[in-house]
Amino acid sequence: MELNDIIKPENLVYEKPRLMNENPMHYCPGCSHGVIHKLIAEVIADMGLEDKTIGISPVGCAVFAYNYLDIDWIEAAHGRAPAIASAVKRLNPEKMVFTYQGDGDLAAIGTAETIHAANRGENIVIVFVNNAIYGMTGGQMAPTTLEGMPTATCPYGRNIALNGYPLKIGDLLAQLEGTCLVTRQSVQTAAAVRKAKKMLRKAFENAMAGKGTSVVEFVSTCSSGWKMTPEKANKWMEENMFPFYPLGDLKNVE
Amino acid sequence: MAEDIKLMKGNEAIAHAAIRYGVDGYFGYPITPQSEILETLMAEMPWEKTGMVVLQAESEVAAINMVYGGAGSGKKVMTSSSSPGVSLKQEGISYIAGAELPCLIVNVMRGGPGLGTIQPSQADYFQTVKGGGHGDYRLITLAPSSVQEMADFVGLGFDLAFKYNNPAIILADGIIGQMMEKVVLPPFHARRTEEEIIAQCPWAVQGRKGGRKSNIITSLELDPAKMEENNIRFQAKYRKIEENEVRHEEFQCEDADYLLIAFGSSARICQKVVEIARSEGIKLGLLRPITLWPFPTKVIAAYADKVKGMLSVELNAGQMVEDVRLAVNGKVRVEHFGRLGGIVFTPDEVLDALKEKLF
Repeated sequence: MELNDIIKPENLVYEKPRLMNENPMHYCPGCSHGVIHKLIAEVIADMGLEDKTIGISPVGCAVFAYNYLDIDWIEAAHGRAPAIASAVKRLNPEKMVFTYQGDGDLAAIGTAETIHAANRGENIVIVFVNNAIYGMTGGQMAPTTLEGMPTATCPYGRNIALNGYPLKIGDLLAQLEGTCLVTRQSVQTAAAVRKAKKMLRKAFENAMAGKGTSVVEFVSTCSSGWKMTPEKANKWMEENMFPFYPLGDLKNVE
Repeated sequence: MAEDIKLMKGNEAIAHAAIRYGVDGYFGYPITPQSEILETLMAEMPWEKTGMVVLQAESEVAAINMVYGGAGSGKKVMTSSSSPGVSLKQEGISYIAGAELPCLIVNVMRGGPGLGTIQPSQADYFQTVKGGGHGDYRLITLAPSSVQEMADFVGLGFDLAFKYNNPAIILADGIIGQMMEKVVLPPFHARRTEEEIIAQCPWAVQGRKGGRKSNIITSLELDPAKMEENNIRFQAKYRKIEENEVRHEEFQCEDADYLLIAFGSSARICQKVVEIARSEGIKLGLLRPITLWPFPTKVIAAYADKVKGMLSVELNAGQMVEDVRLAVNGKVRVEHFGRLGGIVFTPDEVLDALKEKLF
């Protein structure tokens, strides 16, 4: 018996997004990246945009995003994805162009590119994964690391006098005239995932409608970097990250 | 029909040539002495004529990454800057070379190091032909010595870049960028359509039209065996470029006892030096490398058996002279003469140096 004989289309409640391939993911158990990748794959497929979508992947944990989603990709230098996306979109205005960036990529080394792309109102989507730590390089301090939070380069906790404050870059981007949507989401529960997907789709629609820059920030976990179980990381995120990075729309221009 | 001769600066010629050649996008950041390129493009508003995108980026770093993105989508894209700005672009240039993308970069050199001066210099020779950024890569390097060549090398640079999927650079200096000369601009070419781009650049990110496999533009390869293979492929390409794309010009070399080797604005001054020397009965010739990489090694080596000495004349402390010495491999005496930090030599100074160092 074939699979299609068992599962009738009318009975299908869930399937792997067709743009996600069979490559085994390198992400750690409990990591938010996998779910966020899935949402992007679903939104592109739902909108029928796979023949015109170009993703710009970052340097950081998601450097290999291009191995998992079957769309066209450019792998950026660290922090430069918004500059690359700006040019790809301006030269190919009918395409769907998005960047996928972590907190170090977007809010440290790439702050200038991020702010200026958003301030020009480039018709792109910036997917921002904020887990408050550098995962790929082994858990060093990020611009978004919370006060007192220990990392490999602030082993006694982030000290404001020494390291400055965690950067609320989402709030900063919401102030810019060029952004039409800045929203902060999470993917630790089924309800959160559904809500995040809705906002991600809105962002993609904005880009295709030429409304300006949309930023979807995902407050995320890094169980390896945080040195917690996935379950504990989710709880820690809710108790510590959400109060400082509250979820919801920071800006949503209709 | 008579040729349409115009009088303009070298920088302006680059801008007009880019529009006429059908360039898809220019991304730049102001810096003296090349800001006229961006200024001219903005004043011409080519987006209304040809659809060319022109954007003033937030930095040289952003500009070269815009070029990386545009080139990745198969477009003809370029940037320009001057020495300190080109230093900032090196990361992006290395990525573009590593991803094997075609593009055009223009460096209108000024004196360094550091913030240096805004006066002309040729001190970025090493940076341009020996690497500049990280890793084993090469830039196809064109050195114009006239406003006409500034215009002509836009098309030539793109042709070579697309022939080899490799970045090309026009290495000019403040003199060539700022001086006004007669120029015949290239004819108008239409920009390529999306179908033409896909046919010419099947690797370009244009969306997975017709359900083809994903195109991925990257220079990343964590498997060292595969990364070595990539490097070997790059090197094979570079050897091919060295074999096929050397360009140079000779000026009264035929019967010469001594040769001046000079590129760009220095070569213009050296033409006068040859004239003065010949009036004094000194059989002097000038060999001008037009491509600095690939370097005209073979032709210079051939002259090593014919002349008594060579003088590499450069607006720097002695950079190209190393490649001249490598070419002749000790067969003949090779000396260097240069002025530094934005000072330009006079023909008499060069002739005195020739006599002092080689006679």
